[in-house]
Amino acid sequence: MSGIQFKNVSKLYQQGENQVLALDEISLTVEQGEFIAVIGPSGSGKSTFLAIAGALLHPSKGEVILNGKNLNELKPKDLAQLRLEEIGFILQTSNLVPYLNVLEQLLVVKRMAGKLAKADKEYANELLQSLGLAAKLGKLPEQLSGGERQRTAIARAFMNNPSIILADEPTASLDSKRAHEVVQLIANEAKSRNKAAIMVTHDERMLEYCDKVYRMEDGRLKHDDSFSHEKLKAISSKG
Amino acid sequence: MFLAIKELKHGKLRFLMIGVITVLIAWLVFILSGLGNGLSTLSAATFKNMDANYVTFEDGSRSSMSRSLLSESLVEKLENQTNVSAASAMGATMGTVLNNSKSDDKEKVDIAILGITPGSFLEPNVIDGKPLQAKNSLEVIANDTLKKKGFKIGDILKIEGSLEKMKIVGFVKNETYNHLPAVFTTLDKWRSIQFAAPGSDKGIEKPVNGIMLKGENVDSAKIKQLFKNTETVTKAAAIQGMPGYKEENGTITMMLAFLLAISAFVLGVFFYVLTLQKSNQFGILKAIGASNRFLGRAIVSQVFLLSFISIVVGILLTYGTALILPDEMPFSLDLKLVVLYALLLLVISILSSLVSVRKITKIDPLQAIGRME
Ligand SMILES: Nc1ncnc2c1ncn2[C@@H]1O[C@H](COP(=O)(O)OP(=O)(O)OP(=O)(O)O)[C@@H](O)[C@H]1O
Ligand SMILES: [Mg+2]
Repeated sequence: MSGIQFKNVSKLYQQGENQVLALDEISLTVEQGEFIAVIGPSGSGKSTFLAIAGALLHPSKGEVILNGKNLNELKPKDLAQLRLEEIGFILQTSNLVPYLNVLEQLLVVKRMAGKLAKADKEYANELLQSLGLAAKLGKLPEQLSGGERQRTAIARAFMNNPSIILADEPTASLDSKRAHEVVQLIANEAKSRNKAAIMVTHDERMLEYCDKVYRMEDGRLKHDDSFSHEKLKAISSKG
Repeated sequence: MFLAIKELKHGKLRFLMIGVITVLIAWLVFILSGLGNGLSTLSAATFKNMDANYVTFEDGSRSSMSRSLLSESLVEKLENQTNVSAASAMGATMGTVLNNSKSDDKEKVDIAILGITPGSFLEPNVIDGKPLQAKNSLEVIANDTLKKKGFKIGDILKIEGSLEKMKIVGFVKNETYNHLPAVFTTLDKWRSIQFAAPGSDKGIEKPVNGIMLKGENVDSAKIKQLFKNTETVTKAAAIQGMPGYKEENGTITMMLAFLLAISAFVLGVFFYVLTLQKSNQFGILKAIGASNRFLGRAIVSQVFLLSFISIVVGILLTYGTALILPDEMPFSLDLKLVVLYALLLLVISILSSLVSVRKITKIDPLQAIGRME
């Protein structure tokens, strides 16, 4: 079974005396080729949800099945391998390596996996070109605008051709034109290459590109029908 | 290696500073080892140069020439022992001489007077003049440091507190004994200087201080059995018995050991602080799938590169320093020691970077990406 599956996943944060139930019995399936959005108020558990999906955090209860693999059963080394090969992470702040230029940000992913082939370089160039970064290949992160950095991070997330794309507020630092472009790109990647994609966002204008919208509230996830596809389109044409 | 080099290039100033510290440490280590080596050469060069493997002393002398007195007649008997291919006696005395050839010269010079058998394997080759003659006990060969003090071939040396005189007929190189320039003479001449006072030879017939043996795997226990009043030790042990040798070497070794221990600590702290500063980056890399091994290799290869270059610079600086040090300074670089300490420093810096590698394995990628906020 490919895609990603949550089975009754709960996450309890222990902070001294206090316990915070950040995720409460979440069950969800995202198939290949499906692009879903998670919205919800601050502190509702969206980032926690994404971190668990990205194998960065262990659930307190329940299990996550990623491309048929139960994450609970993997060793830390295998989890790193899985993150490298199957997950593309796009973070709110772009999180680039400060001393690598745009092209190298992508190539380092290949180096982590082993040898760097000539085809990888070509692929990286293509990716950056399609993201409008062809003129910025040799620039360091500090020489880029916020949007350029974000697009670099997206290209990096696509570099290893992952089967799952996870994005935590990818448009937060972008103007609305760039924001639309970026989300469109993720949607395209999910559709054309048959990937499962999950995006956490505050920006309701971005929901038009998604197949389903889920609302997170106090750690509980609900399918939100109010954003049916037609309705989404209507909102976007107004805005 | 890729990350390591990229980062070195990016943070030039930061790495330059750590490099400079490593260079200074390496420099100090090599200078100290050069001084140590120089001092030990000065105190025992003659012993070290001698083509001997064992030394026989008087029993109870604890491997010291100055405490030992034996009869020269033992030489023949020792030569007949198994595995001994040659044996030759030696005597040593410290003395003060005046250059009698220059009437205006009032400068006294301390020397080591070494009695040996002319033509034996103990006699060093002259670089200037002619070797010792068995028949002419006036003639001596001297270390060439005396040249710098104004002595020439043909000069007459007057020994203080003795009626004896010596005439320089040749010069040898790198022959120092007990920190003093060595002057080689015949055993007879040496005896007449050393045992001028009646009874000072303790009634031993033809006394000498020690007998050098040539040959591998000499059975010292058996020699001890045969000749009760002797003890036979390896040349290395005899060198340890030179006055002050152990103490000097001990001091230098102590300093080196402390220096190395401190440098391990200093470098370790530097690398650790550097790693802490970068923990965010390492977290990002981990979040996108870098394994601990990948990151660990990046750190170790970076430290290796940095230390390697610094140590090479340190070696160059040391050889540069050696050129401008005054001649009297006992400084001598032994290539073997330089290589040894270079490797030691390299190992130390890599070991000290392992603390940082350990730290990396503990970095939580989630924390580093600010819980994605
Ligand atoms: N490491 C932690 N230790 C303790 N509590 C935590 C920890 N991380 C998150 N929490 C708590 O869990 C809840 C969910 O946090 P989370 O970061 O998932 O929210 P979010 O939906 O991403 O919020 P935002 O929209 O502001 O990013 C919050 O109440 C938060 O305080
Ligand atoms: Mg969040």
